[in-house]
Amino acid sequence: MSNYILKYSRGERVKYVSHLDFVRLFHRTVRRTDLRFVFSQGFNPHPVMTVALPLSVGVTADGEYMKVGFDGDYTESEIKDKINAALPRGYEIKAVKRVEGKEIDLTKIDRAAYVVEAEADGVFDAEKFMANTELIVPKKTKSGVKDADIRPYIYDLSAKPSDGVTVFKMTVAAGSAYNLKPDTVMDAVNKYADGVTVGFFKAHRAALLCGDRDFL
Amino acid sequence: MITQKDKILACVEKPTRYTGGELNEAVKNAEDVFVRFGFCFPDTYEIAMSHLGLKILYYALNRRSDTWCERVFAPWVDMQEQMRRHNMRLWALESGDEITHFDMLGFTLQYELSYSNVVRMLMDAQIPVRARERGEEYPIICGGGPCAYNAEPVADIFDFFMLGEGEDVINEVVDEYVKWKKSGKTNKKDYLEAIARIEGVYVPSFYSVEYNEDNTIRSIAPNNPNAKPKIKKRIMRDFDKAYTPDNIIVPFGEVVHDRVMLEIMRGCLRGCRFCQAGYIYRPLRERGSDTLLDLADKLLSCSGYDEISLSSLSSSDYSQLKELTEGLLEMTEEKKIGLSLPSLRIDNFSMDLMRRVQAVRKSGITFAPEAGTQRLRDIINKNITEENVLDSTAMLFRGGWTNVKLYFMIGLPGETDDDVLGIADLAQKVLDVYFSVPKEERAKNINITVSTSSFVPKPFTAFQWAPQNSRESLIYKQNILKNAIRSRRIRYNWHYSETSYLEGVFARGDRRLCDVIIKAVEKGCRFDSWADHFKFDKWMEAFEECGIDPDFYNLRERSYDEVLPWDHIDVGVTKSFLMRENERAKAGITTPNCREKCAGCGAAGFNAGVCHE
Repeated sequence: MSNYILKYSRGERVKYVSHLDFVRLFHRTVRRTDLRFVFSQGFNPHPVMTVALPLSVGVTADGEYMKVGFDGDYTESEIKDKINAALPRGYEIKAVKRVEGKEIDLTKIDRAAYVVEAEADGVFDAEKFMANTELIVPKKTKSGVKDADIRPYIYDLSAKPSDGVTVFKMTVAAGSAYNLKPDTVMDAVNKYADGVTVGFFKAHRAALLCGDRDFL
Repeated sequence: MITQKDKILACVEKPTRYTGGELNEAVKNAEDVFVRFGFCFPDTYEIAMSHLGLKILYYALNRRSDTWCERVFAPWVDMQEQMRRHNMRLWALESGDEITHFDMLGFTLQYELSYSNVVRMLMDAQIPVRARERGEEYPIICGGGPCAYNAEPVADIFDFFMLGEGEDVINEVVDEYVKWKKSGKTNKKDYLEAIARIEGVYVPSFYSVEYNEDNTIRSIAPNNPNAKPKIKKRIMRDFDKAYTPDNIIVPFGEVVHDRVMLEIMRGCLRGCRFCQAGYIYRPLRERGSDTLLDLADKLLSCSGYDEISLSSLSSSDYSQLKELTEGLLEMTEEKKIGLSLPSLRIDNFSMDLMRRVQAVRKSGITFAPEAGTQRLRDIINKNITEENVLDSTAMLFRGGWTNVKLYFMIGLPGETDDDVLGIADLAQKVLDVYFSVPKEERAKNINITVSTSSFVPKPFTAFQWAPQNSRESLIYKQNILKNAIRSRRIRYNWHYSETSYLEGVFARGDRRLCDVIIKAVEKGCRFDSWADHFKFDKWMEAFEECGIDPDFYNLRERSYDEVLPWDHIDVGVTKSFLMRENERAKAGITTPNCREKCAGCGAAGFNAGVCHE
């Protein structure tokens, strides 16, 4: 058995697939290839596969990660090509890396880069917004919705108008320690940026990062 | 770029219902095809995508290079609201294009309670609902499926119906459409006259219906020289060789039947007198086990599904069951694929099989005695005895199963209170069997579920003349049964009598009901088979405003000489056979199955299947 790290993207046409549906979809995809999964032990054996960080419904992405165990000595390009040939349109494996131990540890992911395209009224001044010492907005936690200061978890934010919409680029905390969704950042923009009202927006997760570094 | 669809899909549940893009969908270039066909299933995505007929006809049509068949399903209420708000028309899943000016739309009519959704989907597409109001710029609207055998209540909506199995006839009507479109597509009547000559095609506007003063039908007669006096259903005579797709669309979200379905045979030889499927799909035809194993392998490899199920009305009657299941087990055990075997009789063979299939999980087992006493089971010709049920459940309990479901119908012809109470008795006896199995041989926590549905007399059955029980009478029967079930280990589920009532009206309805259906939809009725969305009072208002008494259609016993709304349809099974069966039912005489002894139903005229074994 060998473990592989897969980097993949998800496009517009499949962006509404939920996390659980994606896991099922990936199982079926591998079944359509001649690659052999490693199955878990137990009553209901299932393929051994971990998605680094679930992607919200409606969000597209360029650099998602998962770790998969295969029962066989496959080359990296073999895995990439076979899975890409079997995936539904909209998904693509961008890179595959075989790992022996923890040289790539997906649990170390601590931030994500997003591009948010928003219908917004008013001119947004990112510098002024980032100058706030605190940004307190309701945030979903395990124990319900609570007011929280999200300013420390926005590492970088810029915005510029383009074709009638405002394009926000941001790097925010992501992962198991603290996860900040772009939706929450948009709530803060609505609350703290004078004269700016954000309406409908759509998000794209450009990268999952460990510090300022991408794995593959 | 932010699109209108982005905004809408962000506000609805299960957005993948509306996006298409699933694995193995048929994608073509609209410019390269001559015919845009919308295969419409008038219910939600999850139900539609579980339907085998859709999968067959979808690929049958997409094999044609001149045609692009796409899927169109009923948008759920949240999406309907969004579409109304944004003035969007119903679109097809593959292309995302509006269906308003497609060439053809084909609706599958699987149950009467989906009629309101047919109307609603046309409204959502901004297509005039009545056929006579649609000009040549709108699609030709056709229908098929079991309800097409008496589609009179929706006859005004459809341009034509296809009766019977659609694999061939759907290509024939598209061929004619191509000719008509090439000729300039000026008069819809020309097209309908051309296809009226095809066997199995019913053009309702080519038939005039006259009524008697008592509201019964005086006559149904062709009013066009191309229309046949009787329209005969189509079947695939050589079912083993009949086209079946070796490809399957794999949905993103979970659907009701989320697995490969292997259609092992069509038709049923049992002859249960209440069962429309048992009569209309005659004669029974089988697909060879080699054909099926090859198909199973292809469908599993192209889909990646980890579950496969046999599909038929009565799998135990499949003559090569042993070869088939052994071959399938070999395939599935190796690939860790689940095999489910519905509608199997419990005997030593199937017990063995189930032990192998369900090495770990023990799912529930369902029995359908349908009636509580032997007397009533003889009336309905349900060939299952109390002894069968008790012996089988004893075997199951010893095998470690503890989840037993028992299905019955209430409101059957000839039913008395004793028959209803017999349901409780039988359930109690099953429970007694469980306790008679020594503790060390049985598993803990017995769970018996009794479900009753309310009998709805259907066209082309032995009971097509019978009155349906009134709602009051059904509720009374449900109550006495509820009170008769004393053990808390037996759970009782029942159906709402209002939905059965409405289903009964449409099942044996005539053309005068069409206005009622359209009116009810205008009042907000749709998704009638979804309890949360069923608006019985709105339906009753619609009947009232149209001056139609619904009781006329379901509460009255019809005489043998009454002209039935479906008398111009020929399903192979003759009216005289159904009369004979009805008389035998009254006398409590059973009829042997097709393999034991031919009962002379008329289906032998198709020269196929079990009739010629």
